[in-house]
Amino acid sequence: MASVALKSFTGLRQSSPENHHSSKSLFSNPLPSTQLHYRRLNVLAGKSSPKITGRNLRVAIIGGGPAGGAAAETLAKGGIETILIERKLDNAKPCGGAIPLCMVGEFDLPLDIIDRRVTKMKMISPSNVAVDIGRTLKPHEYIGMVRREVLDCYLRDRAAAAGATVINGLFVKMDKPTDKYAPYVIHYNEYDGKVGSVGKKVTAEVDAVIGADGANSRVAKSIDAGDYEYAIAFQERIKIPDDKMQYYENLAEMYVGDDVSPDFYGWVFPKCDHVAVGTGTVTHKPDIKKFQLATRLRARDKILGGKIIRVEAHPIPEHPRPRRLADRVALVGDAAGYVTKCSGEGIYFAAKSGRMCAEAIVEGSANGTRMVDEADLRNYLEKWDKTYWPTYKVLDILQKVFYRSNPAREAFVEMCADEYVQKMTFDSYLYKRVVPGNPLEDLKLAVNTIGSLVRANALRKEMAKI
Amino acid sequence: MTSSMAFFSSTPTTHLPSFSSSSKTQFPITPFHSLLPQRHLLSVPIRATDNGSGAAIVVEEKKDTEGDSLGNGALVAATVEEVGVKFEDPKWVSGTWDLKQFQKDGETDWDAVIDAEVKRRKWLEDNPESSNNDFPVVFDTSIIPWWAWIKRFHLPEAELLNGRAAMVGFFMAYFVDSLTGVGLVDQMGNFFCKTLLFVAVAGVLLIRKNEDIETLKKLIDDTTFYDKQWQATWQDEKKN
Repeated sequence: MASVALKSFTGLRQSSPENHHSSKSLFSNPLPSTQLHYRRLNVLAGKSSPKITGRNLRVAIIGGGPAGGAAAETLAKGGIETILIERKLDNAKPCGGAIPLCMVGEFDLPLDIIDRRVTKMKMISPSNVAVDIGRTLKPHEYIGMVRREVLDCYLRDRAAAAGATVINGLFVKMDKPTDKYAPYVIHYNEYDGKVGSVGKKVTAEVDAVIGADGANSRVAKSIDAGDYEYAIAFQERIKIPDDKMQYYENLAEMYVGDDVSPDFYGWVFPKCDHVAVGTGTVTHKPDIKKFQLATRLRARDKILGGKIIRVEAHPIPEHPRPRRLADRVALVGDAAGYVTKCSGEGIYFAAKSGRMCAEAIVEGSANGTRMVDEADLRNYLEKWDKTYWPTYKVLDILQKVFYRSNPAREAFVEMCADEYVQKMTFDSYLYKRVVPGNPLEDLKLAVNTIGSLVRANALRKEMAKI
Repeated sequence: MTSSMAFFSSTPTTHLPSFSSSSKTQFPITPFHSLLPQRHLLSVPIRATDNGSGAAIVVEEKKDTEGDSLGNGALVAATVEEVGVKFEDPKWVSGTWDLKQFQKDGETDWDAVIDAEVKRRKWLEDNPESSNNDFPVVFDTSIIPWWAWIKRFHLPEAELLNGRAAMVGFFMAYFVDSLTGVGLVDQMGNFFCKTLLFVAVAGVLLIRKNEDIETLKKLIDDTTFYDKQWQATWQDEKKN
């Protein structure tokens, strides 16, 4: 499956061979590049952009979630003058809160910000067939459940320690530069800590902007990045009695079915001392409350006696925005639309994209000594697409095949009982790589999948006759 | 509903208080639910007369029950939801079909198993049930052997399609023969005819109803749509 995905990927960027040629010729011919333009915008890696005198490159990051925090840290460490603007420093965001194992290593997260380690999952089909997955996990492998306010705060504090300036403020608008290397002027309201105050208007001049302000990104609006389809995720935090909480000690549940969601799944995720019960949908947003009730009904026996302590909802992007970059403004994280299909995972990709974008800026500006231009930021997009396209595509295929109808969901849960499937799923989730796997097992898997789908659809046709 | 729609279009977290109040009015009031507060109200007047500070007690009592059974502190109470009947069937034993009860002439009657499972799924689709750890459902459709599926589902349709193909084929053979004088055996040797035959077979397999043409077109669009969404940002570069 992965080889097919890779093949289709190389067709994605037909211009890549050209790019490599032009950068190679540049290295062998270090002249000011008034010549050698195959196309107007090619990879000239900022070697043509002017050196900045008297100061370092200034970058503003709008939004202080995982994407903003990771980007700010990398920029600050790279010697760039960074300001991070976040409107609510103690924001307890509505979120599943699951992070893959690789994030802990890649971002050096301390183990105490992880509230829970989920090592077992239960998938429950529309006809309540329940399958346990997680047998194949090694003892050191787990899915980390975190509180967003804790994680976001930690990443921001680390960025501040590296030299970034964290500002509590609300981004209002951005003035485009009047000249090729003129600065962007960002307008924001700086909060002074008084409750209910509107804050004082501040402007700042920066050379580049990273939009990390989430699904309703204002930066995206100001660069006409376009819209995306989004799902509504609706969640209720429920405090359940201790004996019931014991069951969810390190287990998360996924409920699939038309009653729970027509195109997504319902979940019960354990949090620090309560569970989050929720569901989501793209196509039937007005019915979200109905789906939530159905989810609570399906989990009823396990959350009996619980008290709802909080209700929350948030949009989740379904695919990247049409434009993720314009001149020297780049989008990362949810603002760019980097949420996977099928699982709806976004935290890791937000942080990683923030870091990648910052790395591209650091490299393109030679540690803040030169100006950057759009081509340097495009490097980040290219690297991102190349690294994670297979993951996104595979999850898209899974969603299209297995979330489309009840028979498909029954087949999905049946397939999850297979050990090979579990191993592949967890490997790709925990380490964010699409592993090729054993071809013979892949063939067996394909045959079994088709068999499950055929059986479930046959039963469904019979159901229609009743 | 309109208040919740407005809620979704703006950033949710700041609007939480207004949201929860709207949720209070929208929780389903099952018949049981409405009985609870009334019960309490019945008992209150008695106490009020005893106490003398009647009004205060009534208000408190009412607020208590409302806080418990509706709104933010909503209890997922055991007493409230005895909605509908659970799926029950004598042949459904500990979360799976008991094959011993499906015996016919000493062999398992797989058709009856399939029928039973169909009825169960239909029931659950109309009356979703809570998933219970003490009574897990472990039925797997793969215990039904492959030939039972083929006999029941594939063969009738295969018969239908083959019948159609045979009728069309016979008529076409006659038609071509009458026009060109080429007999059936000579037709099969001709390359053009073989191509036509191949197209006809593929067509019958893929397009069985008129709707299938639309379905196939949509399928092709579907497989490439996500790629287009990802490539969108690179279209910019080409334009520049």
